[in-house]
Amino acid sequence: MGSPLARFSVTVDDGHLADLDAVARALRDSGMQVDRVLGTLGLITGQAPADARSTLLAVEGVTSVDEQLRVQLPPPDAPVQ
Amino acid sequence: MIDPPAARRPRRLPGVSTTGRQVVVFADPDGEAVDWSAAGITDVADSRDFTSGRVPAQALRQAGATVFARLGIAVVDAAPDQVSALRSARRPVLSVSPELVHRVLPEDPSAYVRGYRDGVTDLAGRLGSSGPGEGTAPPPPLFEDTPAATWGVQAVQATTSPFTGRGIRVAVLDTGLDLAHPDFAGRPVTAESFVTGVDSAQDGHGHGTHCTGTACGPRVPPAGPRYGVASEAEVFAGKVLSDEGSGDDGGILAGIDWAVANGCAVISMSLGADVAEAHPPYSAAGRRALQQGSLIVAAAGNNADRENGDPGFVGAPANSVEIMAVGALTSALTTAWFSARSLPTPGGEVDLAAPGVDVLSTWPMPTRYETISGTSMATPHVAGLAALWAEATGRRGLELWATLTQASRRLGEPSVDVGSGLALAPQEGAGTA
Repeated sequence: MGSPLARFSVTVDDGHLADLDAVARALRDSGMQVDRVLGTLGLITGQAPADARSTLLAVEGVTSVDEQLRVQLPPPDAPVQ
Repeated sequence: MIDPPAARRPRRLPGVSTTGRQVVVFADPDGEAVDWSAAGITDVADSRDFTSGRVPAQALRQAGATVFARLGIAVVDAAPDQVSALRSARRPVLSVSPELVHRVLPEDPSAYVRGYRDGVTDLAGRLGSSGPGEGTAPPPPLFEDTPAATWGVQAVQATTSPFTGRGIRVAVLDTGLDLAHPDFAGRPVTAESFVTGVDSAQDGHGHGTHCTGTACGPRVPPAGPRYGVASEAEVFAGKVLSDEGSGDDGGILAGIDWAVANGCAVISMSLGADVAEAHPPYSAAGRRALQQGSLIVAAAGNNADRENGDPGFVGAPANSVEIMAVGALTSALTTAWFSARSLPTPGGEVDLAAPGVDVLSTWPMPTRYETISGTSMATPHVAGLAALWAEATGRRGLELWATLTQASRRLGEPSVDVGSGLALAPQEGAGTA
């Protein structure tokens, strides 16, 4: 069986900002479930098998593939937020 | 024409000598030609007449006037009253000042003695004795909440600023906003949720409502003191964190994308993860946001425990080069015990500091107001101030960033903790120079 899904943020290089949809298609073909194509920033977010990072990084126009960070605020009644 | 009255001129220190020549500053570089003959000056050397624009020292000494065309400045060998004849000429003169003689700064023989004294004082402190001038009590507060305004908006001088953020869009990416809060009644608010499965940007936590209040709360709230900085900014409330206070890159980046696409000059992000490495997607987002005129301001983080000797570190996304990191100050303008210290890596520095201890602001109804602490509370102070500077100067992106740091008040605290110091609001006349 494949490895479990992880959330990734894919950074597209400056030379491919006009071809974001093509990059997103290539990422899908490489096994990524694309959630969002962020046209203003040149970023694509979604999910893929945790071990797929190097495959996604090989897609033309991709400059960085990073597992998404998670933010967690303290509870509302915490004195320091 | 600006001719500062004598009383406003800075006091000249004894020992400063002048050459007898005058330095004339013209209103705009490369404008109309100057009528030197009006001042009786005939021998004019212009930097444009020399190869590669360099005026040789010989020419500078001999000419009646030397013009540095690119700077709009001339050095004139004439008495002040003679030069004042230029004032009636076509090209306006901004100032006429005596040319000063500058010298290499002398070595300071007392520096060694001071260094030795500081070393002894430091050693005494480390040994736990109460040496001379050393107190264990915290410094007294410099600001306090009054019936009119919180200590925070007083400290950043928002209360005396004529600017309100009018015409500037400010995005607060957080847990959303209490959309029915009476303090925001009648204000234009654009709200959007980027949390999977959540359609409304309504704040079910409180953090986002608190931060939005600090950045954009009203000039005169219907009840209680003023707590907000940019009272007429247009609010973009992006819910990127759930009511449980959690979120991931996907929603946060989508919120940044939305804010930039909507032309928000300022994006406030009181959120972060305790990782010491810059996160590439946030660096790319910050860079492309700046290029499109949006400045991202983020919380340095609360991972310090200074009372126990742990200064913490700036987390992501604030530790990206392209994102401004904000530390938290007490009302004595000292570093808050929880406020994270700069990392030694590029981008990992704290850039600015702002009020972040015992900060009163809006909270979802029926509570209405709450007083809490954190670099999360310092960040929206800076975001609101950025909106005021954006309004006052028209600057955006990196220029706006530079303006904020330049205009901040330097503090005695280490720069690794407070960066350029306390962020301040533009006052009357700012942005007209």
